[in-house]
Amino acid sequence: MPGQYPIGAARTGTLPDADALPLSAAARSSASPRRLPGDRDVWIFIYAELCAFGLFFVAYMVYRSDRVDLFNASQLGLDRSLGALNTILLLTSSWAVAAAPRAARLGRIVAVPRYLAFGIALGLAFMVVKYFEYRAKLHAGITISTDMFYMFYFCLTGIHLMHVIAGTIILIVIWLNARARLYHTGNTTGLEAGASYWHMVDLLWIFLFALLYLLR
Amino acid sequence: MDEKTSLKYQMLCAWSGPLFLVAFIYFWGMMGFNLPAPPSPALGADELAARYVEHLGGIRVGFLVSMIVMTLYIPWTAVLSAQMMRIEGRSPVLAFIQLIGGALTVPVVSISSVFWVAAAYRPERAPEITQALTDSGWLIIDTLWACTTWQMVAAALAALHDKCAKPLFPRWLCFITIFCGLSFAPATMTGILKTGPFAWDGVLSFYFPYFCWLLWFALASVYMILEVARRRQAIDSPSPASSARLAHA
Repeated sequence: MPGQYPIGAARTGTLPDADALPLSAAARSSASPRRLPGDRDVWIFIYAELCAFGLFFVAYMVYRSDRVDLFNASQLGLDRSLGALNTILLLTSSWAVAAAPRAARLGRIVAVPRYLAFGIALGLAFMVVKYFEYRAKLHAGITISTDMFYMFYFCLTGIHLMHVIAGTIILIVIWLNARARLYHTGNTTGLEAGASYWHMVDLLWIFLFALLYLLR
Repeated sequence: MDEKTSLKYQMLCAWSGPLFLVAFIYFWGMMGFNLPAPPSPALGADELAARYVEHLGGIRVGFLVSMIVMTLYIPWTAVLSAQMMRIEGRSPVLAFIQLIGGALTVPVVSISSVFWVAAAYRPERAPEITQALTDSGWLIIDTLWACTTWQMVAAALAALHDKCAKPLFPRWLCFITIFCGLSFAPATMTGILKTGPFAWDGVLSFYFPYFCWLLWFALASVYMILEVARRRQAIDSPSPASSARLAHA
């Protein structure tokens, strides 16, 4: 989750190399003890995404309030354990992806791609679980046209899955960069920006899991 | 053509953006009755046909004029292409993608209006035919969104690489542009759904993506006009300050 690593932690000025950063977005803001991790303009993209999903969630709640009985009845058809498994997968991946920039800042450059690879593997595992979940629904004859609840289920989890795929591609890009030893104590901006996006994907899933699978 | 004349045409092209925006919202949105709310896909054929009879004049004139208004997208796309070619140099693939995406947006939007004009053409005919024509129009404009997304993403990527002291678009706008382009994606669901927020009259397939498209268009227009203005100023009064803004950082 975004709150886990970005603000605070290594930013309290205890790092000896904080002044040695090159002229980057990170360097300009590193004077403040609570700087924004990564790239300010990527955060604008992330906020826009959060607003869009906020709109999705409001729409879901509005339509749900109209047909609470139908939503509750249809929700029983969802596989909560698969949803919970995916939540654990994404939360663990967020931990791994948060550990990567920390390792880079501490100069443990070799550990960075390992953490990222673990995060990527968990992202791929999420997609596999989602594939089996969708397949079970379609085999049971449940589609996007079944009712309003399943319309939201397929649309919202489908759009989120697109974000998981995009986030995994971003993780692969920063993993390749990390393997090329691009990230180190002096440069973590790209690494943090990519990690921030991944935390957003995780955060959105936690909301989706609560709204679709748990809310009664 | 000397550069001063060229810049005059560039300025005219850039101003076709705000003109398009106002005219499109008025004719396509208000006069054609797509605002405040388009016809629901859940409407029965008879109700839909009655809607056409009730608003016949507005729908005919609104969409007929909006087809002409839509062509203002052509000069706007052209000047954006020229500005991107300045950034990209010898092999301007992103400018080409943007150009093709913008050029394809014109038929996507205007041909859907043709279907609605055709639907209004014979209000006395069998309502099912009117319904089929209305459906076709909405499915064309909504499910072919990706052409415009290519245009927007290409423009954002090029501007992110602008090395000028004053880049074509600020970085935040580039990221907003990519977001706005991707916000169209739920519109694909209009091909299946008839009710709810992802149907063609829904919040997430109509209001939000169309707002994002026009918001990007408005913001990009402002920065494109400013870019031409900077270049004109550098020619009119070549001061060190104005040329410094155009110089590579």
